[in-house]
Amino acid sequence: MSKDYQMKAAINQKLIEMGERERLKELLRAKLVESGWKDQLKAHCKDVIREKGLEHVTVEDLVTEVTPKGRALVPDSVKKELLQRIRAFLAQHAAL
Amino acid sequence: MKMEEGSVSSLDNSKLEGMAQDILSELVEDACLGLCFEVHRAVKQGYFFLDDTDQESMRDFEIVDQPGLDVFGQVYNQWKNKECVCPNCSRSIAASRFAPHLEKCLGMGRNSSRIANRRIVTGNNTNNKSESDQEDNDDVNDNDWSYGAEKKAKKRKSDKVNILLTLCCCYCYFFYFNE
Repeated sequence: MSKDYQMKAAINQKLIEMGERERLKELLRAKLVESGWKDQLKAHCKDVIREKGLEHVTVEDLVTEVTPKGRALVPDSVKKELLQRIRAFLAQHAAL
Repeated sequence: MKMEEGSVSSLDNSKLEGMAQDILSELVEDACLGLCFEVHRAVKQGYFFLDDTDQESMRDFEIVDQPGLDVFGQVYNQWKNKECVCPNCSRSIAASRFAPHLEKCLGMGRNSSRIANRRIVTGNNTNNKSESDQEDNDDVNDNDWSYGAEKKAKKRKSDKVNILLTLCCCYCYFFYFNE
C-alpha cells in the first residue's frame, strides 16, 4: 500500500513541477464557468447566506454546505474531458 | 515488455484509473474551495448582493454626460482659479503653478540643482529678489524635454543634409554610368 502512496506522491510532484496541475486547474475552472456550474453554486451560496445571516456566515459554513453540492453538480462532459487529460499525462509519465 | 505484463497491466490500469479519479476529485475540491473563498470575501466586503439592486436605485448610479461635469457628476475644474499660499516664501501662487514653484522654492526638484550649479559657475550673488526673477525665467525654460529635443532637432538636420548629399552623389554616379 505504501508503494501506491509513494507512486501517487511522485505523480503529484511531477504534475506540479511540470505545470500540468496549474493548467488542469485553469481548464477545470474555465469549463465550470462555461457550463453554468459557478452560477448554480453561487445561487446555492446565496441561500446558505440568507439562512445563516449575512453577518455571521463563516468560511467553514460555506465549505460544509457548498462542497458536497459542488462535487455533485460537476457535469459529466467536464469530468470526462479532465479525466482524459489526466490519463494522457499518467500514460506518459507514470513509471510502472 | 508490454506483452509479458499483459495480466499485470490491467491491475495497473485500474490503479492508474483510481489515481486519475483521485486527482480529479482533488481538482474539483480546489475549485469548490476557491469559490467559497471568493463568495466569503464578497460577503464580508459587502459586494456580494450588489447585482440584486432594483432598477430604481440603479438609476442613481448612471453615467453623467453633461458638459463641465465628470462621469460622477462632480465639477472637475473648480481649482483652476484658486490660489495657494507657499509655506516657504509665503507668496500667493496660482494652483497650476504651485507644484513647480514649490520644487524651486524648497530646492528639491531636478532643475533646482541645475540652477544652483549654473549660479555657482556664473558666480551670481543670489538675494531673494533676483532668485524670484530667475525662478520665473526658469519656469519658462522649464521642460526637461526641450533640452533633449533641441539636440535631436539639430541632429536630424545634419542627418538630413548627409542623406541629401549621398543621394546626390548616387544620382551623379548613375548618370555617368548610364552614359
